[in-house]
Amino acid sequence: MSRHADAAPTAKTQTRSDAILTCRDLSVEFTMDRGTSTVLNGLDIDIERNEIIGIVGESGSGKSMFASALLDAVVEPGVTTGTITYRPAEGREIDVLDRSDDQLQQLRWEDISMVFQGALSSFNPTLKLRGHFVETLEAHGYDVESGMERTHELLSDLYLDPGRVLGSYPHELSGGMKQRALIALSLVLEPDVLVMDEPTAALDLLMQRSIISLLSALREKYDLTMVFITHDLPLVTKLADRIGVLYAFELAEVSGTEELLRSPRHPYTRALLNSTPDIESPLAEMQPIEGSAPDPVDVPPGCPYHERCPLATADCAAVKPAMEAASETHDVACHYWERVPDEIDLTTEVSR
Amino acid sequence: MQQYYLERTLQAVITVVSVMTLAFFLLRLMPGNPADAYRAELIQNNPQLSQADIDHRVEQKLNVLPDAPLHEQYINYVAGLLQGDLGESINEGVPVSEIISEALPWTIFTMSLALLLSFAIGISFGAIMAYKEGSYFDNGLSVLSIFCNSIPNYIVGILSIWFLGYQLELFPTGGRYSTEMEPTVGLLEPIQTLAFLGDALWHASLLILSYTVVAAGGWALRMRGNSIQVLGEEYLRVARLRGLSERRIATRYVGRNAVLPLYTALLIAIGFALGGSVILEQVFTYPGVGYYMIEGLEARDYPLMMGVFLVMTVAVVLGVYIADLTYGLIDPRAQTRGGDHR
Ligand code: SF4
Repeated sequence: MSRHADAAPTAKTQTRSDAILTCRDLSVEFTMDRGTSTVLNGLDIDIERNEIIGIVGESGSGKSMFASALLDAVVEPGVTTGTITYRPAEGREIDVLDRSDDQLQQLRWEDISMVFQGALSSFNPTLKLRGHFVETLEAHGYDVESGMERTHELLSDLYLDPGRVLGSYPHELSGGMKQRALIALSLVLEPDVLVMDEPTAALDLLMQRSIISLLSALREKYDLTMVFITHDLPLVTKLADRIGVLYAFELAEVSGTEELLRSPRHPYTRALLNSTPDIESPLAEMQPIEGSAPDPVDVPPGCPYHERCPLATADCAAVKPAMEAASETHDVACHYWERVPDEIDLTTEVSR
Repeated sequence: MQQYYLERTLQAVITVVSVMTLAFFLLRLMPGNPADAYRAELIQNNPQLSQADIDHRVEQKLNVLPDAPLHEQYINYVAGLLQGDLGESINEGVPVSEIISEALPWTIFTMSLALLLSFAIGISFGAIMAYKEGSYFDNGLSVLSIFCNSIPNYIVGILSIWFLGYQLELFPTGGRYSTEMEPTVGLLEPIQTLAFLGDALWHASLLILSYTVVAAGGWALRMRGNSIQVLGEEYLRVARLRGLSERRIATRYVGRNAVLPLYTALLIAIGFALGGSVILEQVFTYPGVGYYMIEGLEARDYPLMMGVFLVMTVAVVLGVYIADLTYGLIDPRAQTRGGDHR
């Protein structure tokens, strides 16, 4: 966390010194028959160059929307508003949400790439793996020969046998192999940022762990920035430098991983941690948090968590808490964040 | 895998043998027993014939030895079939195999054209409908396809022959080709060959049209369903985000994944097309195998009827058999029972 130390502290959300992606007031809305559904509500977050940031949320918290929004790939009729600024290592800043189709086609996969939730069905079943790599290189005008050399290296980095994998149809590979091949495919155009939406959801525990360690190695080797989106808080603590907790389409808390585990400031984060009896235990043993997440069509005023929060006051129901800096590397959106550690005990043994 | 091939082969053989057996017993148990009837006719017309002569002629006609024990008759019959001996047509007085081999190319000609045409039209429209799912174009064509697919093709045939053939006199109302036409097919006489083929096509066009209109509707609906499913797949979204061109997505992703499952249906349709020709050829007085089937039926020409029936059955069995054996080669997704794959 030391490299965050020189970040300039501000009263509100901290602006990181070297953010590769800056999201401001990022929202996604769907207009439906029963009203407008806000599935991402005014997110402000900076993603720093070469960090791995974990975004944690329950299903229906808007985390997949956040992933899609980062590539301006929210499916119709969803509308993405706000700004996302991408700062490549060289060259000018790019406004992701304000690009023509051609420019977007170039940005996606070449600069910001993505591994999807449905990893196991992300390949064309009637096309061998090699075809997927070649067509991606061709579509972006990359040199196929050197691109395939890179593919071989990537696959080896992921402990796959390149010859065998490339000559196979998707169904001939196991889930874990497909998942790793998909990561290789997402990196074939040498992007700066890799967004992963539940990349390990369909895999067994052992495979999850091994992919996590492979991702760390890949980050070092290829200078990647990673956004790892998951519902699995214990898993992401193994990997992420920082963690953002999403609740009801808004960020509740963003903090360095260790600080978040040591002294979470948001009641929801505490509940999330306490629902895990032991940070090492599998997710299946988690205790559910009481109550349910709010409906995106009818988001209550005030703090989105107030209906489930043990500390909620009348104030909470009326006034939405702003993001405040609890420390240089810790932002939290709760009126009573200073009191939280005294009021809600952490029952979970935290370690990394 | 090997076991799968073995099973399929066995299945095909058993089917064919059962049909042969059925044919044999039908022939013997047919009302009025054709063998007895024919024998009585022979005795009446040729009182001077000896018993042996009569038996011989009956055997020649029906491929059945009337007085031998049943199992011997059966073996004899099947052995004959395997050598292509389908008996002799009672009315035409020539071997049934001859009639069939003369008529079969015409049926294959019309039916394969009709099948290919309907398949090509069907999958093209089906794919476009899927792309425009919910539009007026899609809704209109869906209704039309369902309508076309639900009327029997001989009704279309009767309507078209009445309207285009008799009323407007645009098309001939029967036959394979014009009487003044010399059937010529040869590389050395390209002009005559073309003229002949054109004339043949002109004679077959209404028949082909009737089959195509109905079948294309069915293909379109299936292709539409398959394509819509593929368009909703995760891998399609990923392909778009990877920046692939719409063209590549349409052919290599949507087209391929939606058409491949139709391969089996197409092969089976080829098998059934022979059977499908029966009524259509009757409507158009088009002397293909189906025409002779009805001919045989009407004239109680059992050998002819049975011969055509057997050929049609074998075609269906063969279509299904080939589809089973080759689907795994065509579609990488195909997995055989037992979970192992190619
Ligand atoms: S603002 Fe109020 S309701 Fe919201 S988390 Fe804090 S204490 Fe709970």
